[in-house]
Amino acid sequence: MPAQRRPGMDHEHHEWSPISERGRLRWPDDARIAICVIINLEHMEWQSPPGSFQAGNLAGGSASRPFPDYARLSHREYGHRVGIFRVLDVLERHGIPPTVAMDALTATNYPYLVRHLSGRGCEFIGHGISVSRMITSNMTSEEEQGYIRESLDALNGATGNEAQGWLGPEYGESSRTPQLLASTGIRYVCDWVNDEQPFPMTTQEGELYALPIMWELDDVSALADRKVTIDRYQDMLTEAFDALYHDGAENGRVLTLHLHPWLIGQPFRIGYLDAALDYMTRRSGVWAAKGSDIIDWYRQHRPSS
Amino acid sequence: MPLPPDRVDYSPIIDRPVIKWPNDARVAVWIAPNIEHYEYLPDFEGVRNPWPRTPYPDVQQYTYRDYGNRIGFWRMLEPLDKYNIRCCVSLNMAVLEHFPEIAEAMVERDWDFMSHGIYNTRYLYGYTEEREREFYRDTIDTLKRHTGKQLKGMLGPAISGSVNTPDLMAEAGLVYHTDWMHDDQPVPIKVKSGRLISVPYSIELNDSSVLRDNHYEGDYFARICKDQFDQLYREGAESGRVMCIALHPFLMGQPHRIKYLHEVLDHIMSHDGVWQTTADDIADYYLEHYYDQAVARAREINK
Repeated sequence: MPAQRRPGMDHEHHEWSPISERGRLRWPDDARIAICVIINLEHMEWQSPPGSFQAGNLAGGSASRPFPDYARLSHREYGHRVGIFRVLDVLERHGIPPTVAMDALTATNYPYLVRHLSGRGCEFIGHGISVSRMITSNMTSEEEQGYIRESLDALNGATGNEAQGWLGPEYGESSRTPQLLASTGIRYVCDWVNDEQPFPMTTQEGELYALPIMWELDDVSALADRKVTIDRYQDMLTEAFDALYHDGAENGRVLTLHLHPWLIGQPFRIGYLDAALDYMTRRSGVWAAKGSDIIDWYRQHRPSS
Repeated sequence: MPLPPDRVDYSPIIDRPVIKWPNDARVAVWIAPNIEHYEYLPDFEGVRNPWPRTPYPDVQQYTYRDYGNRIGFWRMLEPLDKYNIRCCVSLNMAVLEHFPEIAEAMVERDWDFMSHGIYNTRYLYGYTEEREREFYRDTIDTLKRHTGKQLKGMLGPAISGSVNTPDLMAEAGLVYHTDWMHDDQPVPIKVKSGRLISVPYSIELNDSSVLRDNHYEGDYFARICKDQFDQLYREGAESGRVMCIALHPFLMGQPHRIKYLHEVLDHIMSHDGVWQTTADDIADYYLEHYYDQAVARAREINK
């Protein structure tokens, strides 16, 4: 439905709230900035199932090639086989506990990886069935509900935990998604890239918060879509950090970084991530945390206004 | 049920048989010039348009690539010869027939050759099994006739393939396929008969992706090649790694780029512990020493 010309948002998922009008958010120990790294482990299917929606500009391989595209599929598989371990080592070195967005096909077909990630203290969040099957408004409400259920059943079944968070494949949502996630028991969603603090979503049932990702700093957005050089990407990360750190003295900020091991985990890229995270975590007043810890804290310490 | 196409068992790089390359080298480095010919008036078979910019011919794009054979190839020989690099060419077989001087220059240097199809404007999409079998016979015979060498591997023409490609390659006696960008070590690929592995090629350290598709320049190419080498060299102290640099003479052989190829080779070749080799030799070595172990380990991991 086209927007009505009146104050506030043109949807009912959350309130309009400019940062200039908010009370001060204080992180634990008065940290200025919370850092959350979401590692994306998703599977690209050999062939998208009929009726599914795959984003037209999906990164990897040599752009879009006809079927069968061995290069793109295997390029993305690099993350599961090789890249993930570099990324985990870098995060561990800097004391950043990983949050892993894992799709159902990965959860079901890579038990070794699930065990390894559990052993390293990762938090798992729902990430759909596969990157070849985005959530879009093409789905009926029942289909979408079934899709979310299937994703979470597969993930929770593999990890033995209840996922608290959700990131749709390619940030995909219909206009129903936040409601459906909340009613399934999901407590935070990362598809909304419109803020530098968590914020509450308006729900009929359940309690849902947004944990916004910095979209421009997503490695796919920066490196694959916008072709930022890897050295410049390192500078972007540290420059973003500096600005958020500055602003965080007044009102706490969150830097949620969404990374794809098949991309950032390549040998020539990983060192730049390492250097950027080293720069960030050397400072005092930095709280590196998992998604659910950030949301838990926010929920309990949310400024009145 | 395994995920389609069920060609590769999952095997995390941190939990595999340790690879020791000859002379305890840390990194097997292979240089893959793509020596190609693109047809002036190709047949468009309806799946991928070889010259999508204009009705055929597209003289600008055709001659841009042909520049590589007339000029760029010869310019690239200088840095390659400086270090006696034995390349493993990704070869459109028809080059051997069209341009004998290039064939001679490559044979004289004892380079190895993997197939890159016949022409870079003829893709494998939609090939029937019989047509694809004939394609392997043709590429094997053509290489043998012109170089005396037995064909061992393939990078699909313009990185194209069919669903049957790995099976039919193995059936034809080929042992490695480089369309897989999934690893920094060779990986067994499941086929109906025989043995096939992937040898890491690169869609990342590839002047076509870096310079042509993604619009960076030579300085950036040199930087990432050196970074890649340094990382793999560190990791290779524990278990051997493979590094491939994929080149195209029409791109890297440009006058404004050539010094960056010098820079990359200067860097890599100044290190001990480098096995400068070819995909043929990597494949042979891996098949002899690690294939069985790798298959067994992967089976255990996926039990």
